[in-house]
Amino acid sequence: MMPGVTLSRWTMSYFFAALSALIAGEVLMLAGFGYPAASLRAPETLVLVHVIAIGWLSLLMCGALFQFAPVLIARRLYSDTLPLPALLLLIAGLGLLLSGFLQLSGRLPDLPSLLPAAGIVLSAGFMLVLWNLGCTLWPARPLPLPARFVTTGLISLALTVALGVIFALALGQQTNSEPMLAIAGAALPLHAAVGIGGWLTLTAIGVSYRLLAMFMLAPELEGTRPKLVLALAGAALTIVVAAGLGAILNGASLSIPLFAGSILGLASLALYGADILHLYRARKRRTIELNSRMAIHALASFAAAIGLASGLAILGRLEDGIGVVVFVLVFGWLSGLGLAKLYKIVAFLTWLECYGPVLGKMAAPRVQDLVVETRARKWFRVYFLSVWSGTLTLLIGLPTAFRVTAALMLIATIGIVSELVRIRLLSDVAARSGGPAAVPRPHLLFSRPSSI
Amino acid sequence: MTTTFVDLDVRPTLRDGGEPFEQIMQTVSALGPDQGLRLLATFEPVPLFHMLGSKGFTHEATELAGGDWEVLFTPLQSVTAVNPVPATANDTTEWPEPDQHLDNRELDPPEPMVRILAAIETLQHGEVLSALLCREPMFLFPELEKRGHQWRGGFEPDGTTYRILVRVARNSEQVA
Repeated sequence: MMPGVTLSRWTMSYFFAALSALIAGEVLMLAGFGYPAASLRAPETLVLVHVIAIGWLSLLMCGALFQFAPVLIARRLYSDTLPLPALLLLIAGLGLLLSGFLQLSGRLPDLPSLLPAAGIVLSAGFMLVLWNLGCTLWPARPLPLPARFVTTGLISLALTVALGVIFALALGQQTNSEPMLAIAGAALPLHAAVGIGGWLTLTAIGVSYRLLAMFMLAPELEGTRPKLVLALAGAALTIVVAAGLGAILNGASLSIPLFAGSILGLASLALYGADILHLYRARKRRTIELNSRMAIHALASFAAAIGLASGLAILGRLEDGIGVVVFVLVFGWLSGLGLAKLYKIVAFLTWLECYGPVLGKMAAPRVQDLVVETRARKWFRVYFLSVWSGTLTLLIGLPTAFRVTAALMLIATIGIVSELVRIRLLSDVAARSGGPAAVPRPHLLFSRPSSI
Repeated sequence: MTTTFVDLDVRPTLRDGGEPFEQIMQTVSALGPDQGLRLLATFEPVPLFHMLGSKGFTHEATELAGGDWEVLFTPLQSVTAVNPVPATANDTTEWPEPDQHLDNRELDPPEPMVRILAAIETLQHGEVLSALLCREPMFLFPELEKRGHQWRGGFEPDGTTYRILVRVARNSEQVA
């Protein structure tokens, strides 16, 4: 059986919700809400972090996985229906979570705490996502390497959510269990490391191996190095979680598990960097598209974040600078890569939905006819420049200047989103042909599955 | 084109009472496009002649001194040698030779899909298109299915070239 892969119906809805959350997060930074104006553990910072981590990055990743996990294993998605209730639960759960944090900050009346309910609703949403992707991946064992990265990412998601639920129960005063309270008191670094390092970064790495190879016509990576990247990253995560929880429950310091995990993680990332350099060098396509060029900026941000973290650690200042490192990782690496790949993915999926059924039967535009790269390029440049200058303002300690760079990030993001909307509505196809597109416009927020 | 032969001696396995079939099939599936198999066995392996014949190999069997046999399996230079995977389990009929060949290995996605679907529109009912690709065309299959065409595909022994055969069904709208 070779069923192929069809369009995932709700992926565009995830992308729309995700981009809305990114814009909301940037508005918060522009308004001076949360870090750097507030401390890293302040409720305001928790609001900002979760708008970005759950609302933007996790929804983006889930939407992309519903479409591309099936491509990695050449199978159809287990359910094309479940993503909708999952999305509604995730949005509702995020709303409850943010309200719960606002209660902690005294901005909302605080009884009863909404955090336990947020934990339940959010974990229900993520469980639906995990169930759907798990049932898709499970029958495809033994999994190809990119899918094994995704699986490790999904396990990390489950761990991140589990830790988050423990925090929510403890902060909502719904538990008296000593181990749970000990975890809630000390496991924040684990929650962040497994969420950003395991779920978001490992999944992005796994998908990037495949997407970069595909869009640059490079040979798929084989051999031991990519396997080693996964093995080292898996070992790093296992040490951070297992030894970290062990240390917390025994009242010991987290610094040894975190240090050991970082060393293994660094080794893994160095090998990943070598793989990606190899992909760019071995590509058959000499002139690469905007999405692959912008992915280089994201990868450079990733390298810069690692360099910054190492430098700060050597100076013994990592604890003071961890917020800056996370900022570069989240906005330079994960968000930069996400926006760059969205620019290609939205165009490709829209093209497939609109023109796939008529290919060969009428003259159809190419995927690149849906985009105007010269116009989008300036928004991407503004985006990366503002992220990098924002990083500098954070390092130097200029909160007001940081808000100016946040405003530039916001403007650039709105520019990129408006390009994505134009792609989705076939605006540039119509502009190029001087008349309306010959096919019906797709819906902005979801895909109509073709009838098979 | 000259054919080189990969040697496989299954006589030790047979003498130990083992079953060499899987070993033979693994060796065959690892052969390159211009490679044949030189098989050494303790008897004339007649069932293999038919089996490998359906994979596009001719055979030449010689009895050696001592009752052993040497068989040269030589690949036919035809697409039936690609080890095709049928689209449906019960679809085992022979397909005619392709009427059109495309080499889409150097094209950016989704250009290979565009060319295949365009080429199919120029073919008559029952005609076959053969195309080489650099990866499995996951998004093409639903489109072929919707239009009612049949296909077979699989990776070549080199592991990087994917060959797809599409048999055109002309009244595709009605079939779908």
